[in-house]
Amino acid sequence: MPPKKKEGQQKSRANLGEDDALEWLKPRQLIKPDEQEDVAESDLVEEVGRILTTLNPQWVLDEVAYHYGRHQFLVKPKPTFGKAYPLLIIAGTAIRKDSEEAKAQISAGYGMVGFDDAGPKKVKVKKSSAEEEEEEEKEAAAPTDEPAGEEDVAHDEEKPADEPKEEAPPPPETVEAVEEVVPEVVEEEAEPDDGQAATLDAALSVLDIKPRVKKLANQFNFCERAALTYNFPRRSIDTQTIPPPRATYGSTALQCIIFDYYTEDYAKKMKEKEEEKPKRMKKKETKHEKTAQQIHDEQLAQRIREAWSILERLVNQNVYDDIAQDYRYWDDPSDEFREGMGSLLPLWKFQFDPMSKHAVCDVQWNTHYQDLFAVAYGSLDFTNQQKNGCLCMYSIKNPAYPEYAVITESPVICIDVYREIPYLYCVGLYDGNVCVYNAQLTLQAAYQYKSDSVRDKHSNIVWEIRWGPRLIDGEASFFSISGDGRVVQWAVMPGELQATTIITLSSNAPPIAGPDGTMLTVNSCGSCICFHPENPELFLVGTEDGMIHTCSLKYNRNYVRSVQGHHMPVYRIHYNYFNNSIYASCSGDWRVKIWEDGRDEPLFMFELGSPVGDVKWAPYSSTVFAACTADGKVYVFDLNVDKYRPICVQAVVSKKTKKLTRLDFNERLPVIVCGDTKGTCHVLKLSPNLRVMCKPPKKAKEVIEQKTLQIMKLDKLISLVRDPPFQTGVVDEKFEDD
Amino acid sequence: MANEAEETVRKLSAHKGVAGVIVVNGEGIPIKTTLDNHISVQYAGLLSALVDKAKSVVRDLDPTNDLTFLRIRSKKSEVMVAPDKDFILIVVQNPVE
Repeated sequence: MPPKKKEGQQKSRANLGEDDALEWLKPRQLIKPDEQEDVAESDLVEEVGRILTTLNPQWVLDEVAYHYGRHQFLVKPKPTFGKAYPLLIIAGTAIRKDSEEAKAQISAGYGMVGFDDAGPKKVKVKKSSAEEEEEEEKEAAAPTDEPAGEEDVAHDEEKPADEPKEEAPPPPETVEAVEEVVPEVVEEEAEPDDGQAATLDAALSVLDIKPRVKKLANQFNFCERAALTYNFPRRSIDTQTIPPPRATYGSTALQCIIFDYYTEDYAKKMKEKEEEKPKRMKKKETKHEKTAQQIHDEQLAQRIREAWSILERLVNQNVYDDIAQDYRYWDDPSDEFREGMGSLLPLWKFQFDPMSKHAVCDVQWNTHYQDLFAVAYGSLDFTNQQKNGCLCMYSIKNPAYPEYAVITESPVICIDVYREIPYLYCVGLYDGNVCVYNAQLTLQAAYQYKSDSVRDKHSNIVWEIRWGPRLIDGEASFFSISGDGRVVQWAVMPGELQATTIITLSSNAPPIAGPDGTMLTVNSCGSCICFHPENPELFLVGTEDGMIHTCSLKYNRNYVRSVQGHHMPVYRIHYNYFNNSIYASCSGDWRVKIWEDGRDEPLFMFELGSPVGDVKWAPYSSTVFAACTADGKVYVFDLNVDKYRPICVQAVVSKKTKKLTRLDFNERLPVIVCGDTKGTCHVLKLSPNLRVMCKPPKKAKEVIEQKTLQIMKLDKLISLVRDPPFQTGVVDEKFEDD
Repeated sequence: MANEAEETVRKLSAHKGVAGVIVVNGEGIPIKTTLDNHISVQYAGLLSALVDKAKSVVRDLDPTNDLTFLRIRSKKSEVMVAPDKDFILIVVQNPVE
């Protein structure tokens, strides 16, 4: 059994280590010492009987030893225990079952108790010699139990005869009796030594009686019994949890992805920070906030719109590639050979299909976006007036469709872009209304302001409209001039327009008798207006009877000055960009005149052979201006080059079917745009000769700005014209011959 | 919005040389087209892949940058693509003689 157990243990341990696990596979070899005697297998197996006898077979009765002192053999004194020498004698507590004492105990009831009852009872023993503490005794008692028993056996073996004599019968005193007995025995016997006796004493101080043990151990054939609990067979049980779901994920960590996550995270953090703000602030904000979905939708719509418009431009770029190339790179090479003469290169034509029957009544480049110009579609054929009009914005990047187009209820006659806010347009209509359009708004919300409900609005065609300076209160304002003979200032108040009549243009005509006999004063019809570039109070007004009045905002009764400029309606008055006292005017009497403030006679006069629709000074040169005529020609003059003739005459449209109405110089690009009566706008490129800049005089040591040079150029020119002392009619005569 | 889109598509396809206009949604499905169905699907599928690739090229070179438009000029035609995360607009144009 024991080796088996050991093996079992080894096996169980073997499971732990791998080396051990394989050990059992190897054949087990026992190592034998060399000198070991070889014994036959049969001998090894053979059982050798052992006999336990009460007699010592080795016992020599009389041992004789030679005494060297006496020179004789002497009988050795007999040892008390025969051949055995007691080293330790411990008195046991076991007693014979059939002894008197045992009987007494059993009869007292001790022996009747079973093993399974409570632990061994301890009986306190009164000892006369030493009083010891209980707790110590308890501890000491346990280990002494067994040896004591063995010792007893030995005692019993040796002195079977002595004990019965000295045993004390009375049951309650049994313990005492035993106690008494044992020391006596020890004393009687060899009295081995004092230490031994002391230990004995200690051992005996408490006698642990196990009276309940019913079955006393066999005195002679006593053997230790060991019980081995059943070894459960080893069994390995494995359980496995359900593995977490797996998915294969592959991705490339690109720099841009990492960047995106960082920005996302940053935005999130910012938002969290925002949310930490006190709630009051938050509430205010939330009122005006839109839902995330709305914002997203709006943004998406905006993105789509932008994408479409760019795509459209891409398509147009392909379609009009040759024109774009011309615009960018083609400069008429013949200019080099024709000194002082230039040409205009027709580039794009802009047309809006619904407006093909309308005339371009006004055209103006945007002041902020250099590629954008606004067109007013109206009608100049007053016998066959169109019912509606249109405000369009074209970009030269997209010649096919207008960027912005809004149909108006009445033909549009004039427009002006607000320099401060380049998407605000004021518009004058045929029916006398003025409107303000915001090009940023969607087309559904057509106009932002309309003068419909205003009391003092115009009762005739609004011929020209111009933004003015802001009012004292900061509101934007604009001025309009109308066929009803009034100049009105409009203040753009929040939600409405406010009209103030600046001046009523009186005419020299005598009052006419009305149908009911009242005398009606006749106003002269204003046809154009032009503000002084430096002094915003001064403005020029052209009328249909050809007068040019200089007016001031401060005097609303009278003109500051009046000049009979033309014999037909004045279509345009335009101040020079470089000299504030010089202005040009054009009229239906075929003439373009250049005036100087304060002079009743023009400095220059040109006859173009056809009603002149528009005249404009060039923004890049002080002496260049362009005019367009009803016979479809554009004239460009450079007074510095030729004081008598245009340096360029270009037929843009066929004079049989179309007339040119208006034109405008681009402020930054070398192009002009002009409109005709069939709703087409022509963009023309100025050839190099038409845009000659000033060369600084060779003598000049310092670098002079172009602007100063231009002013000097014009001054020089004017002084030449002025040179003959001013006489009425001189200028007229001089140029009328041309 | 829908009307506006209709209008724009109509306007664009009226341009000279424009062979087709395709609007592709975020999933790469053509939702509006002036071309034949199977050609539109082909364009949509091929170009969404190309747009993704082109976008990653631009983004990888500079993460703060982004692809805005894509033009592919070929012998026979030019394909103009306006990519966005929610849509792709494709215009096919034949060169003007």
